[in-house]
Amino acid sequence: MIEVRDLSKSYDDFEALKGISFTVQPGEIVGFLGPNGAGKTTTMKILTSYMPQSSGTVTVNGHDINDAPLEVRKLMGYLPEANPLYTDMLVYDYLRHVATVRGVPKDALKGRIKAACEMCGILPRVGQRIGTLSKGFKQRVGLAAALIHDPEILILDEPTSGLDPNQIVEIRNLIKRLGENRTIILSTHNLPEVMATCNRMLIVHNGKLVADGTAAELEKRESASQRLRVLVKDVPGDAAQAALAGIAGVREVHERPAAEAAATRLEVVADEGADVRADVYRLAVEQGWELLGLEREVLDLEGLFRKLTREI
Amino acid sequence: METTARSKPKSNALRNVGALARREMGFYFNSPVAYITITLFLVVCGVYLFSMDDIATGRSFFEDNEASLRKLFDVIPVIFILIIPAITMRLLAEEKRSGTIELLFTMPVTDTQIALGKFLGGLAFLAITLLATIPLPFIVGTLGNLDVGALIAGYIGLFLLGSAYLAIGLMASSWTDNQIVAYLLAALICAFFYAISGMVSVVWAGAQDAMAALSFEGHFANITRGVIDTRDVVFYLSFVVVALVITVQSLQARNWK
Repeated sequence: MIEVRDLSKSYDDFEALKGISFTVQPGEIVGFLGPNGAGKTTTMKILTSYMPQSSGTVTVNGHDINDAPLEVRKLMGYLPEANPLYTDMLVYDYLRHVATVRGVPKDALKGRIKAACEMCGILPRVGQRIGTLSKGFKQRVGLAAALIHDPEILILDEPTSGLDPNQIVEIRNLIKRLGENRTIILSTHNLPEVMATCNRMLIVHNGKLVADGTAAELEKRESASQRLRVLVKDVPGDAAQAALAGIAGVREVHERPAAEAAATRLEVVADEGADVRADVYRLAVEQGWELLGLEREVLDLEGLFRKLTREI
Repeated sequence: METTARSKPKSNALRNVGALARREMGFYFNSPVAYITITLFLVVCGVYLFSMDDIATGRSFFEDNEASLRKLFDVIPVIFILIIPAITMRLLAEEKRSGTIELLFTMPVTDTQIALGKFLGGLAFLAITLLATIPLPFIVGTLGNLDVGALIAGYIGLFLLGSAYLAIGLMASSWTDNQIVAYLLAALICAFFYAISGMVSVVWAGAQDAMAALSFEGHFANITRGVIDTRDVVFYLSFVVVALVITVQSLQARNWK
């Protein structure tokens, strides 16, 4: 279990993190989401004890990262954002080096290297010099090195950045498979990535945690009040507005410009929990309107993300 | 049960230092660095020994009519000032520049293990470089009676002096992410401690003895005479220890808040 309390970090006069707290339970796949510069990488660098925090505490399975950094590092596998690698080494030699320092016993070395290579799909490349690999393969070598010691916790900083769409799908599937029996924290500024791989998301913005929950929870939270889009044909805007405003539960009705000449487009804002779609339909039938469209606008996660991380 | 629990951290430390040192050795020998360095060193040594006049006496090897490597041992400390920083400049500076230091700092190794591993990797390379000069004493030995005692003492002296240079080079490499800066700083510090007694005695003759006690040259001269004094060994080892301690401190500086 990872417990982060009031974590903050300042670089000279810039506050990268302004006190964030969260807890990650064993087995969770947590997506760390935020625009560039939000504090994702800073958080990861602190979690992996690469960099000290300015204040606050982090404990991993009860070990404080400042008091017992070696214990914490043993539990973790880490893929840094820039995916630094010793480019002069062969893939096999590099993985063997990392595995040795990571404490994989000598007689298990070959087996672990093979397993990691298979998982990441780099088995045919083990004899190649890392510097000559494509970016996608380098990324997989970094990932293989991060999981070579079968760590309880994986920290992946933008694991799919710079990969092509096929590679992205492969890496996401791999992450999901890896997450079946370990804790994973991954950072990204890409929302579909989190939706595809994570069962919980943390949204950071300007060094603060602005949302924490599952995709469903966050969607529900943000669509508290409802908006309907109604499109009717050959109805004067004023009349339609007045009629719709008469429905119980409707708070406001606005006329919006319509794309088609004969159509009238209206936006209906209804109270939380009130589903007025059926009422709108019945009203249209009673009035003899031709109903061209009726749709509930759900604030999707893209919208939520933009709303939460908009620069003010 | 208790013994295994206690001996485990120790074996982990050895394993880590060993793996880090092997990685450095692998770098040198998987790239042209090792072969170029060793070839350059051998060519310079061979040419100076057989084809050039002694810098100090002005006589050539054959005029000297003495089967000894003394002439060579007198200049190797200067050649080392140029070559050893080239070995050490990348040790930490390159890791910082390429970002691989992040991998190193997030693996379960202590900063002391990092410094020791890097140092020992360089030391193994130095040992191989010195071993590559072994044909020279054999050639000289065929020309006359070689003083084997002085020869062995000379090699031990070069190894000790080289370790001190290596530690200084590693220290300089820990201060910067620019390899050129690391090279120049290391060469400057080595040259300073090599020549300090000569430089000071020019302006202040009275301080020569005191400065000789601090200079690489003074201690090295003792050893090439065939005398291995504990004081000289302790002198070089203290340089190694101090430079390594400073290296560890500069690695730990990242944790200063």
